[in-house]
Amino acid sequence: MPNSTIKPEFISAPTGNSEKVALRVKGLRKSFGKKVAVADLDFSIPFGSVAGFLGPNGAGKTTALRLLLGLVPADAGEMELLGNPMPSGRVAALERTGTLVESPSFIESFSGLENLWWFGSLHHPLSASRVDEMLDLVGLREAAARPFGNYSTGMKQRLGVACALLHTPDLLILDEPTNGMDPQGRAQMRDIFKKIHDIHKTTIFLSSHLIDEIQRLCDFVVIIDAGRTVRQGFVSEILSRERESWEIRLAPGGDLQKAREIAAKLPEVLTFENAPRGLIVSLAIGASPRLNRALLEAGIDVAALIPLEASLEETFLKLTDSKVL
Amino acid sequence: MQRFLILLRFEIKKVMARKKAILFLLALNVVPILAGFLAMLLFMKFKTIGIGGLQYSILNEAVRGLFTAHLKLFAWISPFFLALVIGDSISSESARGHLKTLLLTPVTRVQVLVAKAVAVLFFLLAAITVGGIFLQISLIVARFIGDSPDIIRDVTDGSTHLVSTMTALELLSISFVANMTMVSFFTLFALFAESAILMTFTGLIILMGLETFVLMAPTLGQFDPIYLRIADWCFTRHPSKLFELETLSGLMDGSLSIAADPVRSALLGSLGWALAFFSLSIFFFRRKSILN
Repeated sequence: MPNSTIKPEFISAPTGNSEKVALRVKGLRKSFGKKVAVADLDFSIPFGSVAGFLGPNGAGKTTALRLLLGLVPADAGEMELLGNPMPSGRVAALERTGTLVESPSFIESFSGLENLWWFGSLHHPLSASRVDEMLDLVGLREAAARPFGNYSTGMKQRLGVACALLHTPDLLILDEPTNGMDPQGRAQMRDIFKKIHDIHKTTIFLSSHLIDEIQRLCDFVVIIDAGRTVRQGFVSEILSRERESWEIRLAPGGDLQKAREIAAKLPEVLTFENAPRGLIVSLAIGASPRLNRALLEAGIDVAALIPLEASLEETFLKLTDSKVL
Repeated sequence: MQRFLILLRFEIKKVMARKKAILFLLALNVVPILAGFLAMLLFMKFKTIGIGGLQYSILNEAVRGLFTAHLKLFAWISPFFLALVIGDSISSESARGHLKTLLLTPVTRVQVLVAKAVAVLFFLLAAITVGGIFLQISLIVARFIGDSPDIIRDVTDGSTHLVSTMTALELLSISFVANMTMVSFFTLFALFAESAILMTFTGLIILMGLETFVLMAPTLGQFDPIYLRIADWCFTRHPSKLFELETLSGLMDGSLSIAADPVRSALLGSLGWALAFFSLSIFFFRRKSILN
């Protein structure tokens, strides 16, 4: 399906008053010369949720975050952060917001500790113990005195996360926060975000190209493509509405080739692939009885129909018509 | 206000923590620093073996020459160093993403630009103060020698005197105000460049172009008076007027004061341009897209 024909569909999108919504974007547009970076964005993030922000490369995620945080002026549209209109209420919003947009950029000649101290002090007066606490949390205590310029990419990301968390924000906006981290580092960051969310009920809005990470961490998701919102809602609802996947186990001696031909003929079947004992099919919601019936009518014995957990990646690829993230 | 003060301290720390800041301070004050050390050597010579047949007029000329040389040299080279400092503070920070990190904290864009400009003015003040301290050392030595009975008093005219501390302060104040115009000009320029070096050289080329035009305007005005009218709008003519030899000599011999024309009008002109450039900088910075 061409991207332009996908209509944004909002499932359980919060529409109530500002207190229930941590972040709201309506009709957001931005062009750089003739290039349209953000065509028409509409989404709302419920207060207290952990929301993922997904989109293919060049979909406009980072531009949208820059617009939202007042780094780039918008051509049109309305934005609201923690009840504050943006960009006019930028200062009030940023007092309660922790941010990490793209790679963290601190002063290279200053140590990690100095950078945290100075940038953190611009939010609220800081105690030395709070800075130490954050350095401990992200595992940078040992490297605190080293110049930021000597940090590895992963360490820079950790310092960026520490800086975003320093003033105990109500809202965390993170753009690729685990970029450049090893698997252990990513797992540690996920644990930190979960902990922060559980303890402080912090709303987290997380942009990442790692769909697996989003699915593990987020309960809400906004998917954009070509600068437009294509879907938003709670992850569980989006997955259950889009498609269902089944593993079809054939009885011993079952004709796999014939089963493939039957599956290919059914319009409800979206994709299928071979499995060790049959097929794995992805099909429209509610179409599984029809497939089962068609197989039986063709004389193919089905030993079992096993439902598979839906994947956010499949949904994402379908919605964005994209093969590359 | 407290947040702005923290921001200001942060910006001053960034400017002064750069290794080249110390080099710049020394380079800008090479004349008074050398003269200060020479004056101290002269004082030691005077205390040990005397100074021979030194005439008061020569001492007077040496002091006036020292001030004139320092102020003229400072006026010539300060734009280069100020442009580099501002380029580091705005253009380079924008390119490296530091500006983005700063603007993700709850400070306004106006506060950021004001803090950056004040930090550069603090650097300028530090440069002028260092020069002032060494000039004062030279003055103290010169006065000590001038009061000595050994000196040959070949000057009978009472108006010829050594530069007073107040006059020295006036001269340094003029230097500060004239350079404020440069700071504002480069601040505006730095918003549109992402390389400190590129910004510095482009800005200096424009400055030199304007200055050349102002110098040629009287000649060109003989062909068409419009050149004179255009030259009136070249901001460089105000700082240049302040550093003219007649202005400096007039202030040192007391025939001019900073409260009287043409010094006052040149000072007001410099301040006016500084304000205009800074207002424009704020206008553009508030609309600037931070993309790095």
